[in-house]
Amino acid sequence: MTRFRWGSLALSAYGWLFLTFIYVPILLICAFSFNSNPVNMMIWEGFTFDWYLTIFGFPAEQTEQTLYVESTRQLYTAVLNSLMVAAVTTTVSTVLGTAIALAVARFRFRLKNFYRALMFAPMIMPDIILGISLLIFFVSIGMKLGLVTIIIGHITFLCSYVFIIVSTRLADMDESLEEASADLGADGWTTFRRVTLPMIAPGVIGGAMLAFIISMDDLVITYFISGVDSVTLPVHIYGMLRRGIKPEINAIATVMLLFSFLIAAGGLYVRSRRR
Amino acid sequence: MSAARTPIERRRLMALVALLTGPTLFLAVFFIAPLLIMVTYSWLTPGLYGGVEWTFSHLNYGRVLGWADAAYDKFDPVYITIFARSVKLAAATVILSLIVCYPVAFWIAQMQDQRRNFFIFLITLPFFISLIVRLFAWVLILRPTGFLNQALIGLGIISNPLEIIFTDLAVIIGMTYIFVPFMFFPLYASIEKLDPSLIEASRDLGANALQTFWRVILPMTLPGIVGGSIVVFIPSLGNFIVPSVLGGANVVMTGSLIEQQFLSARNWPFGAALGMLVMAAVLVLLACYVGILSREERRSAAPKVAEGEVRP
Repeated sequence: MTRFRWGSLALSAYGWLFLTFIYVPILLICAFSFNSNPVNMMIWEGFTFDWYLTIFGFPAEQTEQTLYVESTRQLYTAVLNSLMVAAVTTTVSTVLGTAIALAVARFRFRLKNFYRALMFAPMIMPDIILGISLLIFFVSIGMKLGLVTIIIGHITFLCSYVFIIVSTRLADMDESLEEASADLGADGWTTFRRVTLPMIAPGVIGGAMLAFIISMDDLVITYFISGVDSVTLPVHIYGMLRRGIKPEINAIATVMLLFSFLIAAGGLYVRSRRR
Repeated sequence: MSAARTPIERRRLMALVALLTGPTLFLAVFFIAPLLIMVTYSWLTPGLYGGVEWTFSHLNYGRVLGWADAAYDKFDPVYITIFARSVKLAAATVILSLIVCYPVAFWIAQMQDQRRNFFIFLITLPFFISLIVRLFAWVLILRPTGFLNQALIGLGIISNPLEIIFTDLAVIIGMTYIFVPFMFFPLYASIEKLDPSLIEASRDLGANALQTFWRVILPMTLPGIVGGSIVVFIPSLGNFIVPSVLGGANVVMTGSLIEQQFLSARNWPFGAALGMLVMAAVLVLLACYVGILSREERRSAAPKVAEGEVRP
């Protein structure tokens, strides 16, 4: 018995160590975004809000001292691009993914397994393959790389995420409700609008939120098909990291952290309520 | 054909066509066609100034496999070496994330419902944070003047900073950190389903802890282990972001090589052939996965649904 207790003690110690491993890097970014040392970001010099002032475009002491080159205009453009791409791709891929999920779950047809495989393919394929194949495709049909190509590229793989989430919901749903609706004389469209759609709505919303988050975060595929002028936020930050690390990246990262925490916490909370 | 259908059947068929036409067209043009074009490109001749000439060439694959010239006489498998290194790093990532996640999945699985949901929430949360931000954190930690070295020097454990960043180890740590959720959830799904009475039975029948683990727990959680390993291995293998952020110029992986071919060297057919190499590895792996799953299914009396392939 005592051995068992030691074992479970060791297990929870390991678990807490794991949570430390997950959260310490994130907390470090937040903490050091307030560090006033402009040369070495990891040596604490003093508390400052200057990096936040900088990224939001206010004049700050630190920025004037360190001869600023990184333009905030590029950062804003990148943020706007990301939001726009995510909004469009979320809408389109939610519609397409839900349509395929409905077809696969509620109809009998020969190519069903083909569609299932088609939906799983982008998820198991390495991002880089999707990125280069889209790059080759867009260039060989003479399409100019830009926001449109990014949007198309995102939709091709985001459909799959929506499909999987909506399919799970459809599988959990009681089909007899739809049958009852049909027996009571409702036509297919009415049944869909009044019974199926309200029932799968949480799945559709969940899929859309996931699509939004993944679209905001996608780096690899966007990197290949974004061209020179239209850069999204992750690609912009990747570029900043490659040019050399500057302290305001901490502040940008912290703001992004807060943003994704809010979305994720909201989404997970809504989901846990619904259950 | 359609004359024999009842009006209801015809309406259902119309609904099906309405549902599938849009997505099918979109995916045929923007998913399947690009893949086919990529396959075609890998068999074409690279143009002199970038671009491509539409003449057949097997040289791209020859080069990938180690022959740099058309006569196939000088053998120098530099690209295969880089590929083998990528496989090694991806495998190390898989093993490290297994070691990190397996005990934790047990820890979470034996918790009370409410507590368990909270901890799963805690583990899911970082998954939503931008990948590039999570990687950046490790730059801060692993740099010579970074957090880790400062802490170790401050504690008097080392006197000179360790050079971790820009090494293989940094890349493995970085990939493990960003892919941990991919490993955790398949593992958790299979460990949660583990029947405690089987473990008790094994104990009652006189097996010690190690035997119980080896003969009962491990085989029963194998689908989760294999599933998690695959979903971690695949994105690690073709990765070029982590090596470029944490590995610097020292760590070249196949992914970085592909990126170079497309964005700086501009030899697209060769890049496409390298992409096909990664793709082939992925397909072989998936075939093994399906093989293992069906063998497991045949072994267990009640067939179970394959798990672990769906990301959370």
